[in-house]
Amino acid sequence: MKEKGNFNFLKWIKSAKVNKVLCIITFMLVPLTLLFVFTYLPFAKMIGFSFYDMKYIGGREFVGLENYLEVFTRDDCFRALKLSLYYIGASFIQLALALYFASLLSFKTKASGVFKGFMFFPYLVCGIAVGFIFKFFYTRGFVLDTVLQWCGFELDNLPYWLRDTKINNFSVAATSIWRYMGQNMVLFIGAIMSVDSSLYEAAAIDGASGWDKFKYIIFPSIKTIIVLNLILSITGSLSAFEPPYVITGGNFGTGTYFVIMNKLAHESQKVGLASAMAVVLLVIILIATMLQKVFFRYFFGEGEEEAIRTVRKRQKREALEKQKMANGGGVS
Amino acid sequence: MRKNFKRLLAVTLTGAMTLSLAACGSKDDDKKKDDKKDEAFTLTLDQIKLGEDYTSVKADLKFLTHKTDKVDNTFQDYIKEFQKLYPNVNIEYEGITDYANDITTRLSTGDWGEICMVPTTVDKDELENYFVSFGNKSKLGESYDERFLNNYAFSDKVYGMPSMVNLQGIVYNKKVFEEAGVTELPKTPDEFLAALKKIKDNKKDDKKFVAPLYTNFAADWTMNAWDAYIDGGATGDADFVNTGLTKGKEPFSDRGDQTGPYAVYNTLYEVVKQGLTEEDPTTTDWEGSKGMINRGEIGCMVLGSWAIPQMQAGGDNADDIAYMPFPITVNGKQYAAAGPDYCYGINVNSSNDQKTAAMCYIKWLIEKSGFAESEGGITGIKGSKLPDALTIFDSIELVVNKAAAAGEETLFNDVNNDSELGINVSGAIPKQIVEEAIKKDGMEMKDMVKEWNEKWTTAQENHDIKFE
Repeated sequence: MKEKGNFNFLKWIKSAKVNKVLCIITFMLVPLTLLFVFTYLPFAKMIGFSFYDMKYIGGREFVGLENYLEVFTRDDCFRALKLSLYYIGASFIQLALALYFASLLSFKTKASGVFKGFMFFPYLVCGIAVGFIFKFFYTRGFVLDTVLQWCGFELDNLPYWLRDTKINNFSVAATSIWRYMGQNMVLFIGAIMSVDSSLYEAAAIDGASGWDKFKYIIFPSIKTIIVLNLILSITGSLSAFEPPYVITGGNFGTGTYFVIMNKLAHESQKVGLASAMAVVLLVIILIATMLQKVFFRYFFGEGEEEAIRTVRKRQKREALEKQKMANGGGVS
Repeated sequence: MRKNFKRLLAVTLTGAMTLSLAACGSKDDDKKKDDKKDEAFTLTLDQIKLGEDYTSVKADLKFLTHKTDKVDNTFQDYIKEFQKLYPNVNIEYEGITDYANDITTRLSTGDWGEICMVPTTVDKDELENYFVSFGNKSKLGESYDERFLNNYAFSDKVYGMPSMVNLQGIVYNKKVFEEAGVTELPKTPDEFLAALKKIKDNKKDDKKFVAPLYTNFAADWTMNAWDAYIDGGATGDADFVNTGLTKGKEPFSDRGDQTGPYAVYNTLYEVVKQGLTEEDPTTTDWEGSKGMINRGEIGCMVLGSWAIPQMQAGGDNADDIAYMPFPITVNGKQYAAAGPDYCYGINVNSSNDQKTAAMCYIKWLIEKSGFAESEGGITGIKGSKLPDALTIFDSIELVVNKAAAAGEETLFNDVNNDSELGINVSGAIPKQIVEEAIKKDGMEMKDMVKEWNEKWTTAQENHDIKFE
């Protein structure tokens, strides 16, 4: 810079190019710092912890991969992961309901705003509060039992919703449907709104029924957002924590992977092992997400892209037709 | 240009981040230097004469407590009283709801306040890194009962002073027991079960009646209360924790004479199995249970003596609430375990003035505040008498767990953590018992005992414990 001789710092800093760069940096600095300090730094630390035999307080000892080995040899870790199936099942129901209500409410429905509000409301309630609400909801002789008794059920024939190990996981997973359905619905409504309304008019002129409209217009147009929601719900199911932790405390066979992890870390002070569990779960979630992406690309396509399966089918069909043509030509 | 821009961005970002990190680091360093400038802190609790020494000390104290319900009322009165003697000491209480979990994390930051209740997660050999010593055990033992100073003592120095001492028994509703014809208190597990059955039969037609014994299962920590009965109280042996549990071979096995850990756990198993507890343990209500036992809708609850005043305050029938020893008799004699509740500790990183003020306040809390008695316990001062609610314990020998031998101070915690049975920590055993007893085809007691023994033995072997 000295070579230029007449370098003017003030001029340099005021120049448009530099200003642009400075702007970008200052704006990015805050979120990036936050992201680094509160996400990546703790995460890196956690990976470090997973190689130690350590407690929160006191010395630590390097044990290499022993914690990881233990995660895979313990029977409770992966058994807990099976519970995620309940939550995955719940997330399918949740998305189906959300899609149904979204399709209904995005057309002219009376008081649709009120319904949207009511259905979105549970999402705004803090997860811990939701837990307490449902604890009372499921208590013997309380809300659910009373309502069912109005419907003619006898109290003696009703199960203990949280005690009976056959159904308690359904009860707990159902709370997450209640909580997240509204949020999914609002996202779907947003996506449906963005569909060109002239398509509906055209469909109406052609005499399409409601189901036809859904199948041929809505579904293909919001495919991407459905897939996104599905992926989010399934990865969320793998790390389900709040409902079982608050409602049952993970007792009576409702302890999900996260609850077990929390117990190991806080009650048995096995911080290293719990960190290893967290890393393993992360890897599992990454794999699950990738598998889902591949799966959806194959069956539904991504964005504007056509599904790989459809493309292949078409190619096959075309090839067949060509062959037929060629064969047919030969015969005649 | 693009490349340059990227480089510039990268450099600035890393610069900013290291700077912000360095800023955090340098603050810590400053603080440490300050501490070093202070002269070594040598004051001990026994040297302080309340109201005479250090009355001009100036300090702001922050007090972390688990008693969230007392922060705005009782503790404020304490501060006012204390400030009459020490006008320049300001105290600010912070109540933490999930105390047992949160405090460990807070402690590791070093900058959490001046006084807290020492959590069980700090191993004894780590105590000196976090807390100020109150003095030598033998010296403090002149005015305080030495048996209660062991929990947080390491190489003869005491790092935690008990806020109160609890007795372990069963809080029950006298009227419910008497109405059912149980006039003599049960002394063995069998008698206890029979008494509960009588109560259940007596209350058969009472729709409001909840259960002869309420487990409070859903509150979680209430289950780990059961662990407090398995040592001294169930064996009469003050050294049982060390010789029987930590170093004992298969400590959970049936001893055949209705004593020891097995007797306690089996009582819980049978109570649940025979349907003498609430129908659905997953939806119990801790706050509600206080009113229920007060109104006679619950027969009894297995909780430390600290629970008495809370149950008395649960409704209008304070006089019906009484306390009895756990129904286990060893060689014709009943024992009750007594042990310190949460202990006060002072931050080792505080300034000398703060440490002095904190020590004065803790001494005042123990000796003058009346906190222990109002909470259903005793103070731990030598020769302190049992409060009225506990007079029945006059005829019963109190057993206080002995300290572990030198060099083995952390052994119990190590084995306990390693085994994941969480004795006195998580209540894993009592919770498992309730679950299995309720299930139709749940595990039987003997299978669970086998499982615990195996876990315990493996953990013992991991820590090189050899059986004699």
